[in-house]
Amino acid sequence: MPDIWGIGAILSKLMLYVGIGGATGLLIIRAAFADLVSPLSDKMRVQIALLAGLALAGSVLGFMLRGAALTGGADGMTDPEMLGLLWQTPVGDVLVYRVVGTVFMIVGVFIPLIGQWISLAGGMIALWSFAQIGHVPELEITGVRVLLLLHLLGVAFWVGILGPLRALSQRPECLSNAAMLGHRFGQAAAVIVPALILAGLLMAWMMLGEMWALMTTGYGQTLLIKLALVGAVLMLAAANKLRFVPAMQSGDHKAARDLVRSIEIEAVIIVVVLATTATLTSVLTLPN
Amino acid sequence: MNKLITIALISMLATNAFAHSSVDATTPENGATVAEVPSEISFSFTDDIRLTKVNMIHQEAHTVTLDLGDQTSFGRAFALPLQSMGEGIYRIEWRGLGADGHAMQGEFTFTVD
Repeated sequence: MPDIWGIGAILSKLMLYVGIGGATGLLIIRAAFADLVSPLSDKMRVQIALLAGLALAGSVLGFMLRGAALTGGADGMTDPEMLGLLWQTPVGDVLVYRVVGTVFMIVGVFIPLIGQWISLAGGMIALWSFAQIGHVPELEITGVRVLLLLHLLGVAFWVGILGPLRALSQRPECLSNAAMLGHRFGQAAAVIVPALILAGLLMAWMMLGEMWALMTTGYGQTLLIKLALVGAVLMLAAANKLRFVPAMQSGDHKAARDLVRSIEIEAVIIVVVLATTATLTSVLTLPN
Repeated sequence: MNKLITIALISMLATNAFAHSSVDATTPENGATVAEVPSEISFSFTDDIRLTKVNMIHQEAHTVTLDLGDQTSFGRAFALPLQSMGEGIYRIEWRGLGADGHAMQGEFTFTVD
């Protein structure tokens, strides 16, 4: 059981994942399906800014909590010596990446024309921060960092579709837009989702080294929980793609309501997946 | 759904590989019984670490924060003077920063009898 600072580290990491993944995902969806999500343009801009703000808060909080973990008390959160020590390690570099990335995302959404590219660049910088420290970068293989970035981009794409698809499906007048968005996302996801899962499995294998560690170590068991949850999300996603979206394309409004419900369940499970990942990356040690 | 979330969260928090501790050896050894209170305690680590806080807890009643003195740089071996509090169980809690930015922590106990 982690101490209070460990639990705080998990929560701040979850804020980061939801914030950066959600904001970058919305930016990707807005760029990739601009014609279909145009009715949600203003709403998405606010959501991106709020999610990036959440990530910014999570970054700063996470940094301060690391200070607290060094002293074992809340005083460490503002102790200049502890924070100065952290600043000199890769933790300080990562804070810079995240602050710059999230600020770019927030500023970009309020600038016309080139703003979305500024925001997207910010999202990439923030995502790249995850390839700087942690268990995967510790493998010290450049290709694995790129693999992690691709994995995160895939996750962001998946997370980013949930809000817009749900919002459009709730509007009867946008049924055809929602159906087309679901259809086109499904086509892209058929390639992207298997790739991101494959990348995840490959990284897990590189870190664990052997299948046996999945069963015998806390890290492996937590990873198994994550995989089981991802499996549940995949089943929902398959139902969306094969059942609800085709029915919506035929003009079935009830299928749109079913899709909304399915997306809501999917979102809850994804948050638990992200919380599991936050535990893996914040407080659990690798078996070896 | 709530049940699923609860099970997942409990499972996450019930795993037993927390903290990035890599202490290699301590003097006195963890669990040892010694006749006299040692004048100093020492730790050695498998990787470079910068100690940030070391507490001595005597008989789970009195806590004293040990002075790190000039041992405030990254290293693998540290020795700190220990204040005698008589017979009983001494628990040493340490915290530190790994060169990679990981917060590390651990503890060991010994008995003076």
